[in-house]
Amino acid sequence: MRNLANWLILGLTLTFLIGPFLIIIFAGASAGQSLAFPPDGLSLKWYAKVFTVESFRASFMLSMFLAVFGTLTALILGIPAAYALNRYKLPGDETIRTIVAAPIIVPGIIVGLALLRYLVVPLDFTVTMALFMAHTALVLPYAVRVVSSSLHNLRADMEEAAVLLGCSRLQAFMKVVLPNIRGGVLAAFILGFVTSFNQVPVSLFLSGPGVRTLPIDMLAYMEITYDPSVAALSAMLAFMSLAIVFAAERLLGFSRYV
Amino acid sequence: MKLTLPIAVALCALTGTAMAADKTLTISVYSFAQDAYKKALYDPFEEICGCDLVIETGNSVERMAKIEANADDPVIDMAVISSHDALSLARKGLIAPLDTSKLSSFDRLYPAAQDPIGNNMAVGYTFYASSIVYRKDLVEIESWGDLLDKKLAGNVALPNITGTQGPLTLMMLDKAMGGKPDDFGPVISEIGKKADDIVTFYSRSSELAQLMNQEEVIAAPVGRFAWSRFKGSPLPFAWANPAEGQAGGMNVMIMTKGNGNEELAYKLMDYWISTEVQTRIAEALIDSPANMDVKVSQEVADNLTYGAELIESLNILDPATIIDNREAWVEQWNADVIK
Amino acid sequence: MFLNTREGLALALPAAFFSLLLFLVPVGILLSEAFQSDTGWTLSGYTDFFAKPLNQVVFFRTLKLGVLVAGTAAVIGYAAAFCIVNLGPTARGRVFGLVVLPLMISPVARTYAWIVILGRTGIVNDAIVGLGLSETPIRLLFTETAVFLGLLQLFMPLMIISLVSAMENIPRDVIPAARVLGASWLQVFVRVILPLTKEGLVIGGTLVFTGALTAYITPAILGGSKVLMLETLLYQRVNVANDFVSASVIAMILMVMSFSANLLLKRIASARR
Repeated sequence: MRNLANWLILGLTLTFLIGPFLIIIFAGASAGQSLAFPPDGLSLKWYAKVFTVESFRASFMLSMFLAVFGTLTALILGIPAAYALNRYKLPGDETIRTIVAAPIIVPGIIVGLALLRYLVVPLDFTVTMALFMAHTALVLPYAVRVVSSSLHNLRADMEEAAVLLGCSRLQAFMKVVLPNIRGGVLAAFILGFVTSFNQVPVSLFLSGPGVRTLPIDMLAYMEITYDPSVAALSAMLAFMSLAIVFAAERLLGFSRYV
Repeated sequence: MKLTLPIAVALCALTGTAMAADKTLTISVYSFAQDAYKKALYDPFEEICGCDLVIETGNSVERMAKIEANADDPVIDMAVISSHDALSLARKGLIAPLDTSKLSSFDRLYPAAQDPIGNNMAVGYTFYASSIVYRKDLVEIESWGDLLDKKLAGNVALPNITGTQGPLTLMMLDKAMGGKPDDFGPVISEIGKKADDIVTFYSRSSELAQLMNQEEVIAAPVGRFAWSRFKGSPLPFAWANPAEGQAGGMNVMIMTKGNGNEELAYKLMDYWISTEVQTRIAEALIDSPANMDVKVSQEVADNLTYGAELIESLNILDPATIIDNREAWVEQWNADVIK
Repeated sequence: MFLNTREGLALALPAAFFSLLLFLVPVGILLSEAFQSDTGWTLSGYTDFFAKPLNQVVFFRTLKLGVLVAGTAAVIGYAAAFCIVNLGPTARGRVFGLVVLPLMISPVARTYAWIVILGRTGIVNDAIVGLGLSETPIRLLFTETAVFLGLLQLFMPLMIISLVSAMENIPRDVIPAARVLGASWLQVFVRVILPLTKEGLVIGGTLVFTGALTAYITPAILGGSKVLMLETLLYQRVNVANDFVSASVIAMILMVMSFSANLLLKRIASARR
């Protein structure tokens, strides 16, 4: 009896959370002209149409670029910072922690507007550049937090032993620490990638002729038409995210780090 | 030190994506029917000029804001916008007067399109009628006043005041209610009283098309340029011919000031108003021609705003009236309608 | 713990400077904009903003929806998290995966689905009419209900995740022990579960509330111009009217709301001790 109630509650909650996604998959497979559920007949034509829309290709590449390089840059900045915050006694470490974590608290739309007004316009940054910086800064808190927690679980005496045995500090980091926090770094990368790729508010003001992130381009496409191709594209993107997460989960037990 | 290298690589990649081909013309256009424009206009033009077109789309409000934000160093070379938006840009000194001698098809335009906002700041490239799209199986539309009538309560959408169609709807409602021309205060109050009966105030015709196709809305004012969205639907949509007549407007082409790309921009403008392109665009049922030489079949004409007689009959709202009063309208609208 | 401070700073400061210069400084300038006038410092940006009835309505609507979404997410979240914790290890992993799944999907896609679901001919209305709850389909799109549902679906996973990790830390025997000693379920919840999971509730509550305040897509698509929220109002003020003073005011309000929600929840959590 208890068990039944348990599953009932979970079933309802999961239906609410995942149902819309299933509807999108089917609405995208409609044979009709407009977005509808249940779809008017089944066809893969809208899934095919996605690949013919030129702007989707360009914006997909831009979003990919931002997600991959923004997250990598965030990791390059974030791993040393996380290491320093965990292993060194630093003056003002709380301040540094707060500054690095701040981008997570500031509403994205404000970030986009601020960068547009004070970097792009007066300092002649390109929109792509501003997007790149915004996405890097946004992912930085995740990188620091996730890497910190795996550093936290790694005993510091291992590196100390390595140093005593004649490694330089850098060698000790590369040979002892990095291999041991690999999982955390990958988890941070995936989390950062997904966050960056799906980011909307930051990019709302940061778009120029021919420069748009994919979610913004999808919104723009909806200004032209509400045909089911946006649903089809959404479904495909979701599968892409899922494939990445699934692979990571299989390889490393990703959910431990989230 | 090791860190700087990947950063440098990433930055190189960034500047790489920011650079485009040598000859590029950046234009800002309405975001509808882009597939058709590509076939009828963009692709052939790129072929002729040997240049790349970069197309910025969006609704008129957003595109205007961008032109204004980048005034010192224009990103957009040429834009197509409504006549009142053009006037507003002209008053702010953001656009340059046109040298009409560079437009070989200029004198083939309807006189009304040749200098619509004065000082040769713009040329019209299309006229459109605005009326009410409705479900003829569910309701009869005879007057603009029907929009606020009980029979449509809970099933009607109006255009948002901030867009181009909003003021046109106010003008026609004002006419239907017998109000003073150019004083839309009472109309806005009336809409405010009926706000609960109005499903939404739409800002994009694609949004309206989706709402009407999923039977959320059964009647709404819309520009004729959006008619093709409704014509192909399995639902029985009709175009109203209200007692007060149809409203109308014109879209124009403008040149941003000091963009340094004038030569190419003139080329595109001239190509766009040429009989050849205007005919192609008309036959694809996108924009109605502003070029008098365009001849189309009766069937095509029925779907457009075509011919001198029809264009003469449209109720036009003076661009100056719109930009002089819009702020006050929006203020009242925010207070009365959407609160 | 290493003591070489200079080395440590050299490692930590690049990240801090990146965040500070490219992120916090521009945001700071934006926030200060509303306090500046031609003559010096002023609060008139704020007084003018709140003098307009529309802005007040939008402010209170945003606050109300934020609280409702966070509150509902907490209620459902507790029930769901409790069920998840009670599952066997394999099932728990799978269900947890399904809860995390929506977070991986673009919010554009998730919101887009609601247009179809909530439409007059959508499945919700089919069900309402089919069950005889209403004779005719009811209007759901472009209402606060639509925005509420969209936001709840978008952010509830964050609450469930926070609560599940908090509940995993409750010692196994505590709840059965309390039951054996005669406590009702309500007492168990208030006296045992709530105190032991309040940290998760604070984190989840802050994430959901802040998320709901700062979401753009959901109010834009499901609310439209009739159900403006602060985020959509900000976008509109900038794009329609080039009104950066209002934008700066709204930005400040959003940040103050997020911070105070976090502080308030922390206070409540520590007061219950």
